[in-house]
Amino acid sequence: MKQNLATALCALVARLVLAGVFAIAALPKIKDPVAFAASIHGYQVIDGVLVNWVALVLPWLELTVAIGLLVPSIRHASAVCIGGLLVVFIGLHASAWRRGLDISCGCFGTGAEPTTDYSLLILRNVGLLLAVIWIFWRDCAAKSQTSEIAL
Amino acid sequence: MNSFAKELFLIFAITASGVAYSVISGQAPAPWVEAELEAGEIHMVDAEVLDPIWIDARTENDFEIAHIKGALLLNESNWDDGIFELMGVWLQSPRPVVIYCSSESCGTSKRIAEQLRAELPSAEIYSLHGGWQP
Repeated sequence: MKQNLATALCALVARLVLAGVFAIAALPKIKDPVAFAASIHGYQVIDGVLVNWVALVLPWLELTVAIGLLVPSIRHASAVCIGGLLVVFIGLHASAWRRGLDISCGCFGTGAEPTTDYSLLILRNVGLLLAVIWIFWRDCAAKSQTSEIAL
Repeated sequence: MNSFAKELFLIFAITASGVAYSVISGQAPAPWVEAELEAGEIHMVDAEVLDPIWIDARTENDFEIAHIKGALLLNESNWDDGIFELMGVWLQSPRPVVIYCSSESCGTSKRIAEQLRAELPSAEIYSLHGGWQP
């Protein structure tokens, strides 16, 4: 009983941290999508009008899934989206690191950020990814348990 | 439609509403409009007309591989030597200074430009929009 309570508390903290990180990351980018587009351009993965679309859509998606992680009716899909985004971010940072790009991350807004420390970024995102996988796995387990009881 | 697909649909609908709000409210320019220059930035075509003093804010290694003809190396790791060299050139023949790094968002050129504006308040200093690559 005590252990269940501690696990539930850990899950809540993990959920709040993930939601907080994604919401804090999204808001400055929603406010200044033009500068965020410049950060995306720096990764040299996509170009042209697609950069502008990503700069406009991605921050809103981040904000939606951040809030969605705390809303029971959409929390499963939000967790999956966050996991997918983190995998993409890890891939992008690893690729930029390998190519030796001297760019600002663009993770929490924009402007003249210090040069990116890729190892730290990747480590942080791997930590967040593990947290979201655990939350998703826990939710799925709880859902199947509820279904069994109902039967 | 299963519940997971419904959840995804709801997420994408909320996201699309947010995007529409940003564009309609004018908070974000329409994504098909090209971004304007930020304050203190200059396009390559305009910079070339000025015949500026070029400052390469990339790493020493990148500078040795290739740089704009006549550019001086000045970044955070060789600040003292670079600023001394720049002062010599600028005092001899004062003209605009354009700083470049490797890409539009590398940030180094903007930081160096800010620091140079403090060191040389009477100089005309720009950072190159889009960066420079050999």
